[in-house]
Amino acid sequence: MTPAARERWQVRLPVLAICAAAWILLVVDPGGAALHSHCAVTMSETAPLSLNALLALNPPALLVAGWILMLAAMMAPLVIAPVRFLHDRSLARRRTRAIALFAAGYGLVWIAAGVVLLPMALAIRLAAPAFAAVVLGFVVAILWQFSPVKQCCLNRCHAHPALAAFGPAADAGAFRFGLTHGFWCAGACWALMLLPMLIARGHLAVMAAVTLWLFTERLDRPSPPRWNWRGPGKAMRIAYAQARMAFQRG
Amino acid sequence: MPYIRRNVWELGGDWADTILWYARGVAAMKARPLADPTAWRFYGAIHGIDPPLWRQLGYLSSSDKMPDQAAIKRYWKQCQHGSWYFLPWHRGYLLQFEANIRAAVVKLGGPSDWALPYWNYFKPNEFKLPPAFASPNWPDGQGNNPLFVPQRYGPQNNGNVYVPLNKVNLNAMGDPDFTGVASGGSPGFGGVDTGFSHSGQVHGGIETQPHDYVHGLVGGSNPQNPNLPGLMSDPDTAGLDPIFWLHHGNIDRLWQVWCENPPSHVDPKDTKWLNGPASIGERAFSMPQPDGKPWDYTPGEMVDLSKLGYTYDDLSPAKPLVQPAERLQRLGASPAAVEAMKGVAAVPTGKNVELVGASSGPLKIAGSEAATSIQLDAGARNKVSQSLALAAQAAAPAPDRVFLNLENVRGLVDSTALDVYVGLPDGANPADHPELLAGSIALFGVRKASIADEEHAGQGLTLVLEITNIVDALHLGNAFDVSALNVRIVPENPVPEDAQISIGRVSIFRQGS
Repeated sequence: MTPAARERWQVRLPVLAICAAAWILLVVDPGGAALHSHCAVTMSETAPLSLNALLALNPPALLVAGWILMLAAMMAPLVIAPVRFLHDRSLARRRTRAIALFAAGYGLVWIAAGVVLLPMALAIRLAAPAFAAVVLGFVVAILWQFSPVKQCCLNRCHAHPALAAFGPAADAGAFRFGLTHGFWCAGACWALMLLPMLIARGHLAVMAAVTLWLFTERLDRPSPPRWNWRGPGKAMRIAYAQARMAFQRG
Repeated sequence: MPYIRRNVWELGGDWADTILWYARGVAAMKARPLADPTAWRFYGAIHGIDPPLWRQLGYLSSSDKMPDQAAIKRYWKQCQHGSWYFLPWHRGYLLQFEANIRAAVVKLGGPSDWALPYWNYFKPNEFKLPPAFASPNWPDGQGNNPLFVPQRYGPQNNGNVYVPLNKVNLNAMGDPDFTGVASGGSPGFGGVDTGFSHSGQVHGGIETQPHDYVHGLVGGSNPQNPNLPGLMSDPDTAGLDPIFWLHHGNIDRLWQVWCENPPSHVDPKDTKWLNGPASIGERAFSMPQPDGKPWDYTPGEMVDLSKLGYTYDDLSPAKPLVQPAERLQRLGASPAAVEAMKGVAAVPTGKNVELVGASSGPLKIAGSEAATSIQLDAGARNKVSQSLALAAQAAAPAPDRVFLNLENVRGLVDSTALDVYVGLPDGANPADHPELLAGSIALFGVRKASIADEEHAGQGLTLVLEITNIVDALHLGNAFDVSALNVRIVPENPVPEDAQISIGRVSIFRQGS
């Protein structure tokens, strides 16, 4: 393993461990809190309910808890690069603190995004039958996927600011980095994140697919914004190249 | 018999046969249309192309027929910078370019064993641009010498082209590792482990010095429009200058010298390096052969010169600045420890990289000088001091290496060249303190690296300079136990405001056990 690869894994491993723990919680659902169903909108699959009924089924506290768990599960792989940057470019004694402040800023933006996305998902489900809501979710996600604005957001997700090293300026810088990174990340991901919220059946599987998609599309390097398809092409090319090499060796 | 690449200054005359045939070969390639994969400009675009800049410099016009998209996608914008692929990619690029020139030479009745000369600016009295490249005329006095380009301005932007020997160095030759880290420590001799990297952020040791610096100072800037680069100064135009290939011949030669001296210097064995970026689903390295057909290659195929069928006339070792035995002696190690280290060209680099201090904010570079102060963290600084103090004891781990980082360097002008001094007293004349010169850098690639929607998201370049010797001296003079260190940056030429050169942060890292 190269020195750079070793340093990459030093950060990847703990971040991926957090991600795995969140997924285990979602799947195992200890205590029967059904947290995963609250990051979607729990409701009848056949007919829209009233707002009151929906709120009764989706109490705000559980919605927030479910949302945070979902963030840890879906977004952790996306912050490996900025966390590594904070780890590398902060004083050793401040690394944990800087990463925590980044996470706070990043999480805050995504909670704010949840305040918009969750009611949006509720409203769509109230206004439309389940199937129509899912179709609408796909149309929005695909349109956003093609748009130059999405590329613009993705490009900025690859940018890292120069960080102050000492005192309140370092704390503020790490927190601000979390806010800005969260802003561009939410801009890049919101439409795909909306999709699982509109799908009750197979919700976890859709979440997992979206997580994988978001992670793999981030592997592509920044490029000029234009109407263009974006997806896991690079990940598939990597997998194909590796499989071909393994086949040739075998 | 292998082809032998020889020193351009030692061929027996300004227009020795090898140079004359090179000029004829260049003329033949220049005569071909852009869409021909063996054309001069096509080969230049393989390194990089920025159509507006090419038009501005007169290398692209509306009458040019562009190659088809498949050829553009396969070949153009391929150069590897800020990457451990820097050396092997350029070796393949040189090989096929040389094959194309040789094919043209043979067709014109020249020698079939023609090989590309190289420019070793480090040798005494060979720092000036070889005369055949400096004259607009052929040796018979006729104009239109294809080796001459008007957009080659030199260190003072006045057309006098040379390499200032007090600013270039071979420190990288002492780096024990081919590849390193992008986290502030040594990026290694050959660069950091990356994927396909057309404009990477952290340049390897040999890439920063002498490669980048020679590019920047040979090319320079147009004195009438300082934002307009000389061809060599910008990666998107560098391959258009005939001297480019002689400069890279020297860099390629230095790779071989590093490999042979000492034998403990080894190229990477990782499959990702050996098999190249195509093995991880990215673009393959590919060059057009003289018959126009593609030749794909991997770094692993580039490591053995004899298998590739060529060699150099001079592979004598270069003496790097930091010698392990001298360093231990300086730090007070016992004669036995120093003796044991004699003959050892390098000791392994420690794995722990840690920030020691940083400036408090961005630094704008304009005019003839800029300065900032690096606040040091007492705990991290003490680790460095203890490591240096321990070096005097028997069986101590290798003392820390220390690196200055210029992070997120952004701007519009690649030819910007800067001298960076550390610990210079207030009011002191930098020229009087060469011992405090951390390094001289040119911002080769900064323009592209500063564009937000390009490959590296506008993060700019991060330049890494080893300041181990300076810190050793400060430590021995009891001057390292301070809360801050001054950093003074002196441009080679005054930097205009509209060059928009800035440094995000100046920082110091330690690397040790």
